[in-house]
Amino acid sequence: MAALAAYTIIGLSLGGIFSLAALGIVLIYRTTGVLNFAHGAMGMFSTFVAWQVFYGWSHPFWPGWISTLLAVIAGLVFAALMGLFLEFAIFRWVRTRDPVVKAVITIGVLLALQSAASLIWKNNQYHLPIYLAPQAATFTIADVPIGANNIVVIVAALLLAFGLGAFLRYTSFGRAMRAVSDSPTSASLWGVPVGRVGAVSWMLGSLVAAVAGILITPFINFDTTSLTLLIIDALAAALIGGLVSLPLTVLGGFLLGLLETYPTIWIQSIGFPRLVALLVILAVLVVRNPRGFAVAAK
Amino acid sequence: MTMLRVRDMTVRFGGIVALDGISLDLNRGEILGLIGPNGAGKTTLFNCISGVIHPDRGSIFFEGHSLVYAPPHVRARFGIARTFQNLQLWGSMTVEENLVVPMDALGRRNTFSDALYLPFSTYAERASRERARAILHVLELDRHARTLAADLPAGIQRRVEIARALAMRPRLLLLDEPAAGLDAQETARLAELLHAVRQRFHVSMLLVDHDMSLVLRVCDYVYVLDFGKLLARGQPSAIRSDPKVIAAYLGEESKQSTGETTTVVAAPKQAAPLLEVKQVAAGYGGLEVIRDVSLQVRPGEVVACIGANGAGKTTTLRAISGMIHPRRGRVMFAGIEVTGRTAERISKLGLIHIPEGRGLFPRLTVEDTLRLVSNTAGHEVDITPAFQLFPKLRERRRQLVGTLSGGEQQMVAMARAILSRPRLVMIDEMSQGLAPSVVRQLFEIIRVFRDEGIAVLLVEQFVESALDVADRAYVFEHGSIVLSGAAVDLRSDRKLVAGSYLGTAVETPAMAAADGNGHRVDPALMEIVSVRVPAKVKRALEQRAEAEGRPTGAVAIELLEKVDRQ
Amino acid sequence: MTSRLMVRVLVTLVAFAVLARIPVGFDVGFKFDSGLAVIWAFGLLSLVLLTGYVGQISLCQATFAGVGAYAAGMMTATFHVDYIVAVAVGVAAAFALGIIVGLPALRLHGITLAIVTLGIALVFDRYVFQDHAFEWFTGGTGGWSVREASMFGLQMDSSKHLMAAYVVLLALFCLVGLLMVNLHDSGAGRRFRAIRDSELAAATMGVDLIRYKLLAFGMSAAIAGLGGAFYPLVAGNVSPQPFWLFTSLQFAAIAVLMGVRYVPAAALGGAFMAFVPDVLTRFGHGSLFGHQYEISYDWFQIAVGVLLIVQLIALPDGVWGDLRHRVGHARSTVGALGGRRVKVA
Repeated sequence: MAALAAYTIIGLSLGGIFSLAALGIVLIYRTTGVLNFAHGAMGMFSTFVAWQVFYGWSHPFWPGWISTLLAVIAGLVFAALMGLFLEFAIFRWVRTRDPVVKAVITIGVLLALQSAASLIWKNNQYHLPIYLAPQAATFTIADVPIGANNIVVIVAALLLAFGLGAFLRYTSFGRAMRAVSDSPTSASLWGVPVGRVGAVSWMLGSLVAAVAGILITPFINFDTTSLTLLIIDALAAALIGGLVSLPLTVLGGFLLGLLETYPTIWIQSIGFPRLVALLVILAVLVVRNPRGFAVAAK
Repeated sequence: MTMLRVRDMTVRFGGIVALDGISLDLNRGEILGLIGPNGAGKTTLFNCISGVIHPDRGSIFFEGHSLVYAPPHVRARFGIARTFQNLQLWGSMTVEENLVVPMDALGRRNTFSDALYLPFSTYAERASRERARAILHVLELDRHARTLAADLPAGIQRRVEIARALAMRPRLLLLDEPAAGLDAQETARLAELLHAVRQRFHVSMLLVDHDMSLVLRVCDYVYVLDFGKLLARGQPSAIRSDPKVIAAYLGEESKQSTGETTTVVAAPKQAAPLLEVKQVAAGYGGLEVIRDVSLQVRPGEVVACIGANGAGKTTTLRAISGMIHPRRGRVMFAGIEVTGRTAERISKLGLIHIPEGRGLFPRLTVEDTLRLVSNTAGHEVDITPAFQLFPKLRERRRQLVGTLSGGEQQMVAMARAILSRPRLVMIDEMSQGLAPSVVRQLFEIIRVFRDEGIAVLLVEQFVESALDVADRAYVFEHGSIVLSGAAVDLRSDRKLVAGSYLGTAVETPAMAAADGNGHRVDPALMEIVSVRVPAKVKRALEQRAEAEGRPTGAVAIELLEKVDRQ
Repeated sequence: MTSRLMVRVLVTLVAFAVLARIPVGFDVGFKFDSGLAVIWAFGLLSLVLLTGYVGQISLCQATFAGVGAYAAGMMTATFHVDYIVAVAVGVAAAFALGIIVGLPALRLHGITLAIVTLGIALVFDRYVFQDHAFEWFTGGTGGWSVREASMFGLQMDSSKHLMAAYVVLLALFCLVGLLMVNLHDSGAGRRFRAIRDSELAAATMGVDLIRYKLLAFGMSAAIAGLGGAFYPLVAGNVSPQPFWLFTSLQFAAIAVLMGVRYVPAAALGGAFMAFVPDVLTRFGHGSLFGHQYEISYDWFQIAVGVLLIVQLIALPDGVWGDLRHRVGHARSTVGALGGRRVKVA
């Protein structure tokens, strides 16, 4: 029973990260129509920028928390700029194209970012994770060590999700974003600045992806690929929310985190969680799929 | 002999009942018409018959086979072919190849023998191509046989769709809006074509179209759908005079006394126009929906656009508000040229467009939706005036717009228009799908707009109510304006207006002249004689006129008056 | 035999004759690249069928190739069969997987299908190809190594007989490519293209969607698997790395980049995928103005990504498609100048 509780906490912290990554995907997809396969890669790149500041450029005499703070700020600023850059340099020009074409373009972004990162930071070496909480602060439940980092992740994920929710719910710009995500055509008739909403979505999406990336580093084998591949878990969570609902997406993320963690009680396999994600995707699509060809028949 | 038997067909999409227990019979050799306002469920019924969607309840029998569980390609093999409202030709293939595909698909072909170019495949291919060319010849499409389907204009693509359906050697042909986007002459030619097709290919047809003139001219029997229910059925002539049908299309005749409407004083004529549309053409993709549309709205004036579905009213509004960009012509608003500007910028000049379907955001609450007005106003707006006007919305302020009834949604859209303090509001199909009592209430709001000095451009299917409230009106037909004038004048000419809906509108003068049968031309009768009645009816009229020795027009007038009295 | 078919056969034969001689006289590395180029070209060709003809999206083509490779490797390493049997088993395994992957495609379109196939690629990359539960199939962490292999009794293994393997591969590619071009213009090809242009119209006009979509996925996987099945022969061993997720993504990117509707574009893309990285790493280092530089493999993938983005914005029909249009345009211009009409194919 206690073991179950420990695994639940691990699963929830993983799920929190999935939720964050998925939130960005849904946000960008709803407001700009781009399903961003490069979301994991974007988070990965920003995370490495933070990592660089944390391990490469911070002065050894600084107290740890200053390095951490600087690193996180650097990563987030970079993420926001990258989101804006992608919107203005690429996706603004293909707004009217088919969603599939836009998705393929994000695959180009994925490949370029992934290689650029492995060029700069090397792909196959072990990278020390970024700890937001002291690594030593652990406690054990039924022989399973739980780091304070797990708790930090869960809290941060929930705070961010609620913060984003509050931003969308209570601010004027958040209302505009929700309007655009419901119907871009109607929104432009209402005088909502659709272009600016798209740019802000890319910025916010990239930001939460960076947060997800920074938070996940203590839990995985931290290298360029494994963070890029976070995309599939994020997509699974996003599909649980139907690529529409943010609360369902967050729930989906946590659910997926638990589903991927519990089997590790019995199965020791790095790849098995991917199978869980795929099964979740398939199950969701079967449940949610409309009858027949109703999509094409309008 | 019954060929197609549909029983108790019911389809629900979420909470919306698209089809509600429809039953229908089609006899062999018959052309059956299916009409009804937008959203009546016609295309849904087509999709059920061709197997594109599965009904929640009900059964379909075709020549004695039950089709409920048959996938689309099996139905095609039984002999059911269809065309599509939003053209679904295979654009990257030539017209000829488009015809060969269904022929091959129905035969027994082998993928590997095809890839190897075995004689079996090449001979079969040659035979198919020859048959395809024969069909193209009958439909006068030979010229385009080697053109890529995507490169053809929409009118010809519609003909190719019919040709492709015929290539399956169908026994039943489902035609979904074959006349959409065609002008009056092309529609007339289409009617002839359909008659020719029935004779040459021995097919039965089920025809959906908004163009009532086509349906009433071509069909032997007509079903009328409204809100997914069967409203009426009968011979075309009976349908035309069925008060229920006329009400569904035009709305109830208003009971208001004319005295009240005369109090409506038209806006001063000398005022500079607020909105000026000059010879605008616009469309979608290969389809040009409106051509040469010019209209004006003066400050504080209420102007109605009326005409059948597909006549180009909605497209005109879209071209004005910037949802689509005009291909030719200019749009001036408040003295500024807005042609080609984005909808976002135009809305900030004080032009509000409430599109068909109301253009709301289903996942926002009423309150949030109204607060969005700050985007056009440029500052936070006090939304309480909206609740004073629509007390019902105050109760529902925390509810998601998507969960409101249609009438309440329209109230939200109108409330937003008021809060924005615009100079012009354009409302598209305000009363679509709403109960008459709600519609009356909404028309009252339009009077409020007028009292506030806000100009209104109205697209409306309930012509009577629209003309009651409007100062002036434009009548659209086949993508251009055929008539305009003071609303009071048009109101008194109900026959004429009804014509634009029920397929008896003013014909082009050329065709009217060609119709002369030797009788003395009476200018008063000309208008009536020149109505575009189905060929059959026309022939009947002429026969009767000859028998009685009177002008055809006189007979027509007598009959139409009879219709009017009913 | 129609004249068009004859022209195609001739062009194929000439292409085969020329391409077969190119690696002669170069070093082993170049010969290895040549073999690899054809293997990747098979992967791209499988996308020409699936995406170019039928309009279905797949981000797991390298998985199909990988299954072909592992199956062939397993057959030779454990059962020591003639290599042609190993290839047949590899193709069959890939075909079977293709049918299975095609099942969800019956109800999915566009982006959702891309997500599902991406998930499948990732599951095979991280789980099936790397997990000890599948050691019987993957040969464990070391993979299968193929030292001795013969086909039709001829010695054909990576160490000494690389050219023989290359020629066999190339011949197969030319044959499959020819069949694909034929297929495009035949009845079956038109049914495929009908599904691509409008699935709705195809179904209601009598095309059995289930049959043709599954067939397309199966055939496409078999083509990718055919290339993959030769990988152990060319490389001497099988490992997860060449068939991981990023190869699948590169397949998709390069296929679209080169022109996903054209068979020759697949050959072009295969050569691009195999030679460019090798050339970069071989010659891409030295010093410039006293500054040491080194161009690694990563630059290749960056280039692919950036080129793909630029191409999708600027040339929607891909490099080969754009070339075709230009040549066609030039031909009709020349024809007009010469005073006679030239039919542009």
